[in-house]
Amino acid sequence: MAASSSSGESADMREAFGDTLVELGHAYPTMIVLDADLHTSSKATRFRDAFPHRFIQVGIAEQNMFGIAAGLALSGFIPFPSTFAAFATRRALDQIAISICYPRLNVKIPGSYVGLPTSRAGASHNCIEDVAVMRAMPNLRVADPGDDADLRAIMHAAIEVDGPVYFRIARYAAPALFGPGHKFEWGKGVVLRDGDDVTLFGTGIMTGHCLLAAELLADSGIKAQVVHMASVKPIDRDLIATCVARTRCAVTAENATISGGFGSAVAETLALTLPVPLRFIGVPDRWADSGGIDELFAYHRMRPADIAEAARQVIALKSGLLTR
Amino acid sequence: MKLVAEELAQLEERAYQIRRLSLEMITNAKWGHVGGSLSMAEILAVLYWKAMNVDPEHPMWEGRDRLFLSKAHGSPALYATLALRGFYPIERIYTYCELGGFEGHTDMHRTPGLESSGGPLGMGLSVAVGAALAFHLKGNPRSRVFCILGDGELNEGNVWEAAMSSAHYHLDNLIAIIDYNKVMAKGFVWELMSIEPLAEKWQAFGWDVIQVDGHDVGELTAAFHRAKWVNPRGKPIVIIAHTVKGRGVERAEFSHEWHTHAPSAAIADQMLRELALNFGRPEIGYSRLDREEEKETFYGGE
Repeated sequence: MAASSSSGESADMREAFGDTLVELGHAYPTMIVLDADLHTSSKATRFRDAFPHRFIQVGIAEQNMFGIAAGLALSGFIPFPSTFAAFATRRALDQIAISICYPRLNVKIPGSYVGLPTSRAGASHNCIEDVAVMRAMPNLRVADPGDDADLRAIMHAAIEVDGPVYFRIARYAAPALFGPGHKFEWGKGVVLRDGDDVTLFGTGIMTGHCLLAAELLADSGIKAQVVHMASVKPIDRDLIATCVARTRCAVTAENATISGGFGSAVAETLALTLPVPLRFIGVPDRWADSGGIDELFAYHRMRPADIAEAARQVIALKSGLLTR
Repeated sequence: MKLVAEELAQLEERAYQIRRLSLEMITNAKWGHVGGSLSMAEILAVLYWKAMNVDPEHPMWEGRDRLFLSKAHGSPALYATLALRGFYPIERIYTYCELGGFEGHTDMHRTPGLESSGGPLGMGLSVAVGAALAFHLKGNPRSRVFCILGDGELNEGNVWEAAMSSAHYHLDNLIAIIDYNKVMAKGFVWELMSIEPLAEKWQAFGWDVIQVDGHDVGELTAAFHRAKWVNPRGKPIVIIAHTVKGRGVERAEFSHEWHTHAPSAAIADQMLRELALNFGRPEIGYSRLDREEEKETFYGGE
């Protein structure tokens, strides 16, 4: 397992995004990619170069881009309106909600530059609230991939279903979790490591941190189960309940705000099935800030060591050694 | 393109019926937008009986022209139009604002003939741009995309993003219609946020501009003919239709009080009789007057 400091200009998830766009473009002749002046950053350039007549440049006008995407979908095309997550889910939220999600249009929305790793762009570009916001949209599926293979599988699964999808792309070289034959299923989580003492539910690039945390915990004799849940909506309620029925405590980890996001989705499930000690790892209720990626992970207490510490706390709570 | 007197009279009759049914459904629902529905009756009549190529028997026919109602609060007038044009039986308009029925704004999955869902202002023209681009991508040079916008919603920045892109993509298959009824929800447009000089704005954004009296079915017919067959030369076309908010009922004319306001059954009865007199039709009141006793009483609201 690579260390968590592997961000930077080397191959990050955007490469897999650009390549998979082209791959899908060959398979789906009605696929259209729209861009709002960010294609070299998102790597949508590769689709433009391969299919210039199915690439629509809208300029810096995200609201218009999502409206145009709705019009294309109504006409039988499969649009991928591509921009940074911050500009999709903040600037164009009304268009996404009412022009796309409400009528269940077949639009696939990639949100790039999510969470902490955005190359020092700062709070305005580190989109941390997109998971919470998009999870609140009826009819919309939401996925946060753990690595390149997962992103590719999610993009395939996105175009295979009829209806709106939101998926995240981190500017981050996530350590590989899966092999090239990896399949993604909506509403299904994957157990990556088994253990009886605590369940670590990870989504997006934070699943890698959960695996590192499990190693740290193993050093002190704690057996942590690690579950990757790229499908944030629908979420795998059965798997959450099954895992926690055994471990009786859990930690969630996400590359986003902890207010209303993936951790909240897990908590909602557990509240209905089996309330247990639970801790949330993610950006606390504050803006993300500029900084180096390791610096930011430390500042927001999202390092593997922070996940391990949260795991020790919920285990102590479960054992009655600690009170809430 | 001139119409004979009989055709003009038929279109005027359609507009009259659209007004009647709009008032009927708003009164029945105890909610809705009177002013903005009455102002676009002639626009819808000319679109659905003259300008647009649609087939009520096959509402999803690929070659049809598309209409996007950006001012989706005017849905009563569109629901009335689609009923009269044969997309569904007229009785269905009374599901307007009922649970599971026709939506207060627009839900394309609830009403046959609707091309999109909407409600928040300023968003429809972008959807129309997408549909117009789609015709280009499919190599369809014949079908047209129409989009009706309100005047107040021209305050929204999204409209001008869409306007800029329409000219950039040379969408001469796109025809926008401004229902310029001069009044928005809380007052006059010029009082709350002026949009003038309007024709010059659209021209500056690269559009071909046609201005008409939006209550004159002859002028509207000629304008749509020009927009479809004479003017297209690489530029999108906007028809600025000068209208009267609440047209046909004196108390509602140019009044923001009747922007979102449902008449009581008794007032609706008066309004419909007045409408009949103003348009030279036999005096008929509110058809559901006798049913009102059974219903909860709440009038107005937003």
